[in-house]
Amino acid sequence: MPEEPLIVDPTAKGRDLGRSGGWIRSFITQRRNSRIAVLYGYARLVGYNEKRELVPDILKDVTVVDGRDFTLSLRAGHRWSDGAPFTSDDIRYWWEDIANNPMLSPSGPPRFMLVDGKPPQVSFPDAVTARFRWEEPNPYFLPALAAARPPFIYRPAHYLKRFHARYTGEAELAPLIAKYKVRNWAALHNARDDMFRMENPDEPTLQPWMAMSKGTGSHLLFQRNPYYHRFDTRGMQLPYADGLDVTVMAAGLIPAQVATGKADLQAEGLTFSQVPVLVAGEAAGNYRTLLWPEGKAAEIALYPNLNYNDPVWRGLLRDARFRRALSMGIDRRIVNRSLFFGLARESGVDVLPGSPLYKPERTGVWTGYDPKRAAALLDEIGLKRKRGEAYRDLPDGRPLEVIVESSGEKPEVADALQIIAETWRDIGVRLLVRTVDRDVLRNRVYAGQTMMAVWGGWDNGVPDPDSSPEELAPMTQENFSWPKWGQYYQTSGSAGEPIDMPIPQELMDFARRWRHTTDETERRALWSAMLDIHADQIFAIGVVSKTPQPIAVANRLRNVPDKGLWLWDPGAYLGIYRPDEFYFADARPADPEPAGLHRRED
Amino acid sequence: MLRFILRRLLVMIPTLIAVSMLIFIVINLPPGDYLSNQIAELRATGQEAGLAKAEFLRREYALDRPLPEQYLVWIGVWPGPNGFNGLLQGDLGWSFEFNKPVAEVVGETLWFTVILNLAAVLFVYLVSFPLGALAAIRANSWVDYLAATVGYIGLATPNFLLALILLYYGQKWLGLPIGGLLDAEYENQPMSWGKIGSVLEHLIVPTIVIGLSGTAAMVRRLRANLLDELGKPYVVTAKAKGVPPLRRLTRYPLRMALNPFVSDIGSLLPSLVSGSVLISVVLSLPTIGPALLGALRAQDIFLSGFILMFISLLVLVGMLISDIALALLDPRIRLGKGRKAQS
Repeated sequence: MPEEPLIVDPTAKGRDLGRSGGWIRSFITQRRNSRIAVLYGYARLVGYNEKRELVPDILKDVTVVDGRDFTLSLRAGHRWSDGAPFTSDDIRYWWEDIANNPMLSPSGPPRFMLVDGKPPQVSFPDAVTARFRWEEPNPYFLPALAAARPPFIYRPAHYLKRFHARYTGEAELAPLIAKYKVRNWAALHNARDDMFRMENPDEPTLQPWMAMSKGTGSHLLFQRNPYYHRFDTRGMQLPYADGLDVTVMAAGLIPAQVATGKADLQAEGLTFSQVPVLVAGEAAGNYRTLLWPEGKAAEIALYPNLNYNDPVWRGLLRDARFRRALSMGIDRRIVNRSLFFGLARESGVDVLPGSPLYKPERTGVWTGYDPKRAAALLDEIGLKRKRGEAYRDLPDGRPLEVIVESSGEKPEVADALQIIAETWRDIGVRLLVRTVDRDVLRNRVYAGQTMMAVWGGWDNGVPDPDSSPEELAPMTQENFSWPKWGQYYQTSGSAGEPIDMPIPQELMDFARRWRHTTDETERRALWSAMLDIHADQIFAIGVVSKTPQPIAVANRLRNVPDKGLWLWDPGAYLGIYRPDEFYFADARPADPEPAGLHRRED
Repeated sequence: MLRFILRRLLVMIPTLIAVSMLIFIVINLPPGDYLSNQIAELRATGQEAGLAKAEFLRREYALDRPLPEQYLVWIGVWPGPNGFNGLLQGDLGWSFEFNKPVAEVVGETLWFTVILNLAAVLFVYLVSFPLGALAAIRANSWVDYLAATVGYIGLATPNFLLALILLYYGQKWLGLPIGGLLDAEYENQPMSWGKIGSVLEHLIVPTIVIGLSGTAAMVRRLRANLLDELGKPYVVTAKAKGVPPLRRLTRYPLRMALNPFVSDIGSLLPSLVSGSVLISVVLSLPTIGPALLGALRAQDIFLSGFILMFISLLVLVGMLISDIALALLDPRIRLGKGRKAQS
């Protein structure tokens, strides 16, 4: 127990003081998703609380001066899960021996550590203090530490040094390199260091649950970390549940498993279309089905590619009137009613009502169903219909066929496109769908070969003024509206194309100004301006947002909130709702361990 | 005979080289590679934290080099970043998807794949032999029609649908487990009767599903061949001489009707490894099939490349075996450029 533990009071959130014991059973769809323990665990240096405010978690405290000088204070007496002390040397190890080691980090330190390409000055005054000082504000630093996938700027130095050439001689490394079938010390270090997926049960962690003997590759077990830093007000150490019992299972079988009562907490692999099956099984399986709204800015959004290679089409896609017409040609209500029982929100790509930046007047701008106005706009652009033809033509005589590329992963997206095709036909626009694999889709969009892609809206639908507005500006290749402009920015001009449109350039300037200010009011104003531009320009055509994500929760499992937001970052899905406080109503201390729990004596 | 085998073995080498090139070209046809796609994915989902590792692996496995060079490094005739270590040196490479050496991934899944497909093959033979023979002897009787009906149902229902139906009702009425290979309590346990029982229980549904369509085809083929054979004069002669019916059937006609089965051995060997992909995916069975499918989709080239190479090798070996077996079984078949058959 650290001398300065973090005391939490579940009752302040309207939760119970729990009981210790029991294993939470869950399924994942791929072995790679063993990260579930780090998402459920959600122990971060600084983390978000349920209101999505940043608060110290593993750290005792963070002091920020001018947004550019960060002092991190550790908890005295804090220990790794193997009992070794956790000190500022673990942060130093990451910075000096991993982030700045050319073998382990070929491209140098990660981007969030650089401001205008310059790294910070780093110092470690004592065993519980680390200091990072940049010359300019770094608004990305703390959000990165709290991310669903954190960079782990602390590593268990005492454990990893034995795989690092700086600390361990060739003679000792050689047998290990042979044993793990890798080719050099750096590969060995990478293989043994996996804080996110916890593939290596020997590597100590600070999460509430730690990986144990590997199971069989399809069955993973994570048991309580005896040195975890959180305690409830009675002095009982968290997590309440003894462990996570995770099985790899084909996505198609997960609903059946849940319906027969094989899962205590399950969201992965469940989609809205399976809700009838899940609800039907509730009584027999002894669980309940929660529906949490998706936290993205839109669940389904069409991205006209402003960097599309065909010049005629590119000109058309860059015409705001065309994008507005397409948006007004979508009957969002039909999509919502027929695919989501009317439980989703009919809107364009915009922040959700829960966000402090939300403004009601933005909704409905160009997103109401109005085929007459849409047709009038298309006439105004000069996209004529020949007599007796259903569809319009481009000015150069080619038919107006919008080819939407989809990754084909979600059946509801395919259904939505069908519905959109119907209403677009009324305004004389033909929609054709092309399904390609997600990696291929991405590569095609980046190369300007895709006219329009269907994807989700901005990842964070509930930003606050301190959240980065990168997704709203042409700063990232990952935004399918302007892949080449984003690439140009990301590669400092060595690839992609410079921005050649005034309004996106304006968005870029706003985003740059946001980065260089730390003033809350100014940040809010910049965000607001950017959101207004998006609502007016419809750079992405949102269809529905806040679609329900089913979560199955066993009746025995308590403290799981009925209402929450299903959001990857910030949030780590269930993470910010603190699964370490979930407990079993019938838990007995020293509950039997789950089946298959046999530590292999290596 | 020995010379024939030796010559066939020598021909395998250029064949395998050509196959390896084809495989490498085909799996690299989709744009990008596993790691560049993974880097794009990580960037798009706000997982910048995972980038350093992906970039490290790209360099480590020479994926940042031009394709021809990548191919030579993979085969092991060109130095990679860490000297020569390719297939020829026995280094099968690294599976990015599973995050372990390819040899381990294949090793873990191989034995179960073989057990499952062997069970399916046994099921096919045990069911189709008696059924096919009966259908031929009692042609156009109710037995024949019943066998045909069962067979056509097996052929006509999509495998995965049948699998799901059997799973659902198996669980509902018989309490059979859903998916997977064995019950959790036997994991990491030494072999025991209970463990074997658990594996067998998990094998029931997949075996039936994989076996049914094969059974149908086999029954029809055996029936057709046997009917041809039964009408031949020597059978009539045997009947006239009063040979008892069972011997009359087993002595020659059945042996002759087995010809197609023997030539099937060639495809049997690779199917032991690569069969039942779809079913394994649907039933979440830890066989090579899903690993190969996942590897191909994600462009995990070392894993998919090796599995495909391995299957190609098995095809070649299987063909050789079935040729030899046919030569031993049927005197009408000659090896090589022996004397021309006298017309």
